[in-house]
Amino acid sequence: MSSQTMQEPTRRIVPSVIGVMWRRELLRYRRDRSQIFGGVSRTTLWLLILGFGLGASLREIEGYTYAQYILPGVVTLNVLFASLQCAVALVWDREVGLLREVIVSPAPMLSVTLGKLLGGATIALAQGSIPLLLLPFLGIRPTVLGLLGVWATMFFMGLLITAFGIVIASRMKTFEGFGSISNGVIQPLYFLSGSIFPLKGIIGGVGFLQIPEALRDELRRAGVYAIGGGWVVQLPWWIEVLVYANPVSYQLDLMRYFLLGFQQLPMTADLLVTFALPPIAVVIAAMAMARAYKG
Amino acid sequence: MTDAATSAIHCESLGRHYGDVVAVRDVSLDVGRGEFFALLGPNGAGKTTTVHMLTTLTTPTVGTASVMGFDVVKEAQQVRRALGLVFQDPALDERLTARENLEIHAVLYEIPRAERKARIEEALAWASLEDAGDRRVRTFSGGMKRRLELARALMHRPGVLFLDEPTLGLDPQGRRHLWERIQALRDEGMTVLMTTHYLHEAESCDRVAIIDGGSIVALGEPSELIRTTEGAKDLEDVFLTLTGNALRDEEPSPRALMKSFAQRGGEHTR
Repeated sequence: MSSQTMQEPTRRIVPSVIGVMWRRELLRYRRDRSQIFGGVSRTTLWLLILGFGLGASLREIEGYTYAQYILPGVVTLNVLFASLQCAVALVWDREVGLLREVIVSPAPMLSVTLGKLLGGATIALAQGSIPLLLLPFLGIRPTVLGLLGVWATMFFMGLLITAFGIVIASRMKTFEGFGSISNGVIQPLYFLSGSIFPLKGIIGGVGFLQIPEALRDELRRAGVYAIGGGWVVQLPWWIEVLVYANPVSYQLDLMRYFLLGFQQLPMTADLLVTFALPPIAVVIAAMAMARAYKG
Repeated sequence: MTDAATSAIHCESLGRHYGDVVAVRDVSLDVGRGEFFALLGPNGAGKTTTVHMLTTLTTPTVGTASVMGFDVVKEAQQVRRALGLVFQDPALDERLTARENLEIHAVLYEIPRAERKARIEEALAWASLEDAGDRRVRTFSGGMKRRLELARALMHRPGVLFLDEPTLGLDPQGRRHLWERIQALRDEGMTVLMTTHYLHEAESCDRVAIIDGGSIVALGEPSELIRTTEGAKDLEDVFLTLTGNALRDEEPSPRALMKSFAQRGGEHTR
């Protein structure tokens, strides 16, 4: 579309438009019981089945139980699902939903996008908080500040992933369900983020040997984290590259720091990726929306 | 009524192509204020593309157009404010109630906060949906949705109303009811441009344009078109004489694919 029609009005920030689009997302969320159910069942399955089941053999990771270690990962998983589901609904919304009505209205696209993004991030915050209800049962007692930190991280992660999803959705013409997004986007982001195993060091076997403290210290200095009673194996280099390129790794690491006080990546990198990347992504998403829907 | 200042809609050699494919070529027409104008044509003739260009959803590649005196490209925002549009398929949020859908419209069109409530009630009354205002739209019939959309398109008091196949998919009762509503608008002096497949609806319009292959092949009052076309008894004869009897099969659009997916009960489709 020509630059003339993209002039000042479509870039305006109108709080009432942002507000109404945000509220719309929340109303849709509240009325979709399947999404809330999904959040609860995901949390239960991961924490109870994997956390306690696998946790019985993986006695500890750096002094934390396996369920404690994966809790931030489960929070992340809920955030990923919520944000991407909110973003991908755009494809549906454009073909047979409200979006065409919004596009033909004089409401500036930037404000519409901001409302959508804030909505996605708020839903992510709600869905991501479901696993936190289990904190007492897992023996985690975060500080008030830590909890606020977790929520801030969740919100910004939600913003980033919703923005990312909007860029994908604005390029999709048609779509046959959420499955491809779930398998093609959520799972790589989730599994390549140190969510279920430490970033460096992965178990090769489970079992009998206790790693001597001295060896453990030495490994730790090399950045390899030992898992109770197992051989320690380095991730293949190419997976490691993917893990370090995945912004979710840093946000998850920060969340784990706020919840457990355990951190595997440099704090500066965590803070930068968590709080500086989402605003950039928001701008890119707004541009993608304007290009896709006002052309 | 032939220039941009006094016409409600004015186009000059308007055209749109996608790569080598020409969707609309050289469309010039004027719709006067208060006029009831129908755009007819077989599937894929360029009706929807023309409506989309006039409503700023698609940028023309050639020519100019204005709505209520505003240029659709250079003054797109003013054009958006000046028009009301009802799409061929419902553009409603089905998880929200009728009232919530109208509230969104009121905010998007910057209707002052103090007036919003009254305008919403007015729209619900206009659509005969006073008792259904707090029901979710997914429980509505096709006719109720269409009435709601029409009422919504009028909420910001547009100067021109664009209706893309307004009665498509309604049963005869629903179509009759909606048509009476549209007729009432005409009596109030509203300018309406509609596309339709129902030729007797078009026959009651002030003027019609028949479009085929992206160009206007006939333009005038229905009675005049019937008179000047050889052997034509009604508008359907005119239509078939001008556009031929060949079937116009189209590939399914993304929208059609999505709709069939929803009907099969696909996940996350509402």
